[in-house]
Amino acid sequence: MENIFDIAILGGGPAGYVAAERAGAKGLSVVIFDKRALGGVCLNEGCIPTKTLLNSAKVLEYAHEAEKYGITVGEVGIDFSKIMKRKDKVVRKLVSGIGAKMKHAKAEVVMAEAVIKEKRGSEITIEAEGKTYKAANLLICTGSEAAIPPIPGLDKSQILTNREILQLKELPKSLVIIGGGVIGTEFADFFNAMGTKITVIEMLPEILTGIDDDIAKFVRAEFTKRGIDFHLGAKVTKLNGKEVTFEKDGKEEKITGEQVLLSVGRKANVAGIGLENIGVEFTPRGVKIDKNCRTNIPNVYAAGDITGFSLLAHTASREGEVAVNHILGRKDQMRYDAIPGVVYTHPEIAGVGLTEASAKEKGIEVEIRKLPMAYAGRFVAENEGKDGFCKVIAGKKYGEILGVHMVGGACSEMIWGACALVEMQLRVKDVQEIVFPHPTVSEIIKETIFEF
Amino acid sequence: MPKIQFINPEEVRKAGEITFNPIPVNQYNKTVEEEKANFSNEDLIRIFRDMVIIREFETMLNQIKIRGDYNGIAYNHPGPAHLSIGQEAAAVGMAYTLGVEDFIFGSHRSHGEILAKGLSAIDKLSDEQLTKIMESHFDGITFAPVKNNFSGSAKEMAIRFLIYGTLAEIFARETGFNRGLGGSMHAFFTPFGVYPNNAIVGGSGDISVGAALYKKVNRKDGIVVANIGDASMACGPVWEGLSFATMDQFNELWEGDMKGGLPLIINIMNNQYGMGGQTCGETMGYKVAARIGAGLNADQMHAERVDGYNPLAVIDAYKRKREILKEKRGPVLLDVLTYRYSGHSPSDASSYRSKEEVEAWEAQDSINWFGKELVKAGVATEAALEEIKAVTGELITWGLKLAIDDKVSPHMDMEKYPELIGGMMFSNESVDKMEDRKPDVNHPMEENPRVKQLATKERFAYDETGKAHSKIKTYAYRDGIFEAIIDRFYKDPTLIAYGEENRDWGGAFAVYRGLTEALPYHRLFNSPISEASIVGTAIGYAMCGGRVIPEIMYCDFLGRSGDEVFNQLPKWQAMSGNVIKMPLVLRVSVGSKYGAQHSQDWTALATHIPGLKVVFPATPYDAKGLMNAALQGTDPVIFFESQRLYDIGEQFHKGGVPAGYYEIALGEPDVKREGKDVTILSIGATLYRALEAADILQEKYNMSAEVIDARSLVPFNYELVIESLKKTGRIIITGDASARGSFMKDMAQTITELAFDELDAPPVVVGSRNWITPAYELEEYFFPQASWIVDAIHEKIVPLKGHVVKNNFTENEQIRRNKLGV
Repeated sequence: MENIFDIAILGGGPAGYVAAERAGAKGLSVVIFDKRALGGVCLNEGCIPTKTLLNSAKVLEYAHEAEKYGITVGEVGIDFSKIMKRKDKVVRKLVSGIGAKMKHAKAEVVMAEAVIKEKRGSEITIEAEGKTYKAANLLICTGSEAAIPPIPGLDKSQILTNREILQLKELPKSLVIIGGGVIGTEFADFFNAMGTKITVIEMLPEILTGIDDDIAKFVRAEFTKRGIDFHLGAKVTKLNGKEVTFEKDGKEEKITGEQVLLSVGRKANVAGIGLENIGVEFTPRGVKIDKNCRTNIPNVYAAGDITGFSLLAHTASREGEVAVNHILGRKDQMRYDAIPGVVYTHPEIAGVGLTEASAKEKGIEVEIRKLPMAYAGRFVAENEGKDGFCKVIAGKKYGEILGVHMVGGACSEMIWGACALVEMQLRVKDVQEIVFPHPTVSEIIKETIFEF
Repeated sequence: MPKIQFINPEEVRKAGEITFNPIPVNQYNKTVEEEKANFSNEDLIRIFRDMVIIREFETMLNQIKIRGDYNGIAYNHPGPAHLSIGQEAAAVGMAYTLGVEDFIFGSHRSHGEILAKGLSAIDKLSDEQLTKIMESHFDGITFAPVKNNFSGSAKEMAIRFLIYGTLAEIFARETGFNRGLGGSMHAFFTPFGVYPNNAIVGGSGDISVGAALYKKVNRKDGIVVANIGDASMACGPVWEGLSFATMDQFNELWEGDMKGGLPLIINIMNNQYGMGGQTCGETMGYKVAARIGAGLNADQMHAERVDGYNPLAVIDAYKRKREILKEKRGPVLLDVLTYRYSGHSPSDASSYRSKEEVEAWEAQDSINWFGKELVKAGVATEAALEEIKAVTGELITWGLKLAIDDKVSPHMDMEKYPELIGGMMFSNESVDKMEDRKPDVNHPMEENPRVKQLATKERFAYDETGKAHSKIKTYAYRDGIFEAIIDRFYKDPTLIAYGEENRDWGGAFAVYRGLTEALPYHRLFNSPISEASIVGTAIGYAMCGGRVIPEIMYCDFLGRSGDEVFNQLPKWQAMSGNVIKMPLVLRVSVGSKYGAQHSQDWTALATHIPGLKVVFPATPYDAKGLMNAALQGTDPVIFFESQRLYDIGEQFHKGGVPAGYYEIALGEPDVKREGKDVTILSIGATLYRALEAADILQEKYNMSAEVIDARSLVPFNYELVIESLKKTGRIIITGDASARGSFMKDMAQTITELAFDELDAPPVVVGSRNWITPAYELEEYFFPQASWIVDAIHEKIVPLKGHVVKNNFTENEQIRRNKLGV
């Protein structure tokens, strides 16, 4: 009898490999396809390589600022190719780690482009490299890629996306970044630290859309001090090689960089995978899923960037888990209220839940408290001359914690705690009873909450 | 087709031609002087008076509607008033010879006919009879205002009673003839032989035929007159009624004293307009409506056009036609030519006709003309006629004042009795037989071959070891229905049954096999393939006091009797103020295997209409018990049966289907299997798929399902379901109807409201797809299957460990399908 997998997974990114791991652990037979490399954008051309680079920038910053802490260092220099090599090594190590995990999960890994062919009753057929695979369940998580907007004169060979910029051999002297979102801002931070002249062109009035307004403003002010140029409310109208033309306040300006990075958003990979062959409902924006991460077709799930919603690796992983749990008959459903968002700039930004702006937009009555990071002793001890703040948003009526937003230091490492508060719908008075370790920077959350 | 008739090819293939007899048109030509031999002066003056009363009554309403006052009395009547000013001679002529036992049916424009027939009846009834009628109608509620505000002879009182009762009804007063629930277009008064008028054009075209059938089958005196408009001759149900009324079998197959035609006159009140459409020259092609008679039977329905502007011409026609009916050569079709000066309704600006035309008819006004003739013939003086008009003016003024007086003639007190109308939707009586006499049967019931055969059958599906009996030995669902029906045939002499292939064929699904032997033709016969007439005539039969079982062979044909099922059958009990009962059980067989127009479950159409009881048994025990209860009642019951079930034996009731009589109360669902984890509420034949699903749930997922069979849809007692939910907290509602707009959805919504606290998940409906029903080979993709129920539980209620679904119950698919409307 033909082998029918319990679950076929299209895409080996954070949705796919985590789902494969979880399903394998529960004894389900898994086949996982990826046309490029396990780990997806996150591991190969996103989260992990950029964090590796940003850590080099951080070390550089320490070296430059050692004096402040009473440490004398010698001449500080940069070896760009070494930095890039270390990044490659980190990626290789983690990718191979995923391979090991797949083996552990007894998942069959097919490194090839896969296409969904048909669904008959509860049997789904997938084809890869001329071979067919049958499965009872299907998880579609083919991710996203950099969106290339139809800017007149845009020549793909002349510009970089997150993929190409990570393969640069030489440090550019100047870099024009189109799109001041999370990706653009992180690259701005890194290359600025490396000494590249950075210009950020953002169409909206502020960078880092979706991040708390005060934080975005704070970070932009910090970056401006470091010499990064920002053009806000500026619309790119033309590209000519590496010359960028943009319109701002009705005036046209031109700027040329040694390199140009395009980071204006992502596009779901819905084409060419055979969604239409089994009637999965989708638009160019992505595949529609329900709270169980099901598409409109039974036994067919989708997770990660392909949904066109909450494009984050940790969202993807959680969605993959929800899908697997649903297949297993475990009651579980996707909730998006407590998904953390982190930007690994220096200083780091970390937030979860409602922002002041989104609460207002939704018409939710809230109370807001804000404290400087200096209220946490450890922050002062470790961040000479640095600043930051913590902002907590709570419901007016019940005092439930709806959002926590921070900037400063390594706040990304403590945001999970805030996630737990929001996820569990704890109230101000509940959190006040929780003991936070002293001295830690995380105490700033408790301090801010005591301001209510 | 009965075997005794032989279709001889030699005969029917012969060359020949059809000849028609000339149809008389306005042949009456006597003068009043000549008629004095046949009428007393009082009679002739009374004819004049009756016309004047109608004219004044309608004129008053016209002024109230148009000007808001009459004789200085102001009133706002928001409801309808389709008036017949100009048509008085036709109405009085029609009614003049009719006895109290003769019934008339009408249209939306029938005030004149009600008054004419009422006045005619008053003239014929004795003072004692009149007093009794007036005193007993609604225990004297209608009579009280008359009695308290007028005193005179019984006949004078009765005329006042007629004017007042009709007017109070038109003005929706509780003291009206039908408690104000009928209104202008539905007013009637059966003690005077005035049966319902009908707001649906042509509505009386088949109902009246059923009334004539009632008279004939139950050997009742009197004839039936259907007053319908000339434009209604285009309505399908009218044509179907005529086809039914002229069936050959009355003469060819009905036996003994039953042989012969129906005592029916189709009286076309031909005012030459249908609203604004001219029936001659524009919207019809008959030129002379009487021509229609020639198309229906060899007697040409004894059709004739009569001058309805001369009351004596109409009376003459009725005298002659009555003789034909007496000789059982009916039915008769009369084309009574008339004209209305008033608009279709008071809002009608008469833009469709010229002023000259109206004036030309007014110049020949029947009242003026007849008055002059009476004076000319020395029957009355002009002054005497003027006096009649003056007295009539006072009479109508008196009636108006009384009928609009809120103290004397209140509307229903809905503040004090908010459920008054609710209480009138059904009569809810339990009646063994509608009349006490010996039923016409061919042999004692125990000698009936089917009854004898059933005595040998196994009344439970399985033997002691749990093995199923052979199909041939098993007492089946169709036997349950048969037993209830044959029992009632021997109990209730008024009971008749008919429909397509009901007699020799034994019903398309063999339910009636054996009844042919037991019953004479007039109690069980084949109807034309004409659902409007099947249901419409049955309504007429039931409203006159007979019990009847019409049959719709496939549920899909229900649409063919749409107006009858949706507008007539459910409404007459309440619209009559509960004067009328409707002991009618409409058998409707839900098909399968026969594709898109023969396999639909349309229970939702029936449940949606207030005033119908709706049942859908799924087992022989329930089928017999519910049929017994339906036949014992006095309400219209839509009795759904399933063609998937006719062969099925009783699998639930311990001891099998009892041989004796028992009833299952309408409205009570039944637990067919007990369980504790999930409730499956099923409608109709889906019960067996629900049980199959319960087996799968138990065996594969260790989940115990409680299966409840709805049995009835209207009424429905939710208490049993709520009790079940207290145990299970989860419910699937399933049935063969397309899910959208189904009664399952209605149940789901009601359950959500009633048992929200008990529910762990939303009630989920598993119905058929919103598609055409495909061929039998594809039905498993259309009708709910056991696997659908299991999948729906897994997807929407609680995940079943290790379950892999086959069918699509995802939320996004539900949204997508709804977006597409499929």
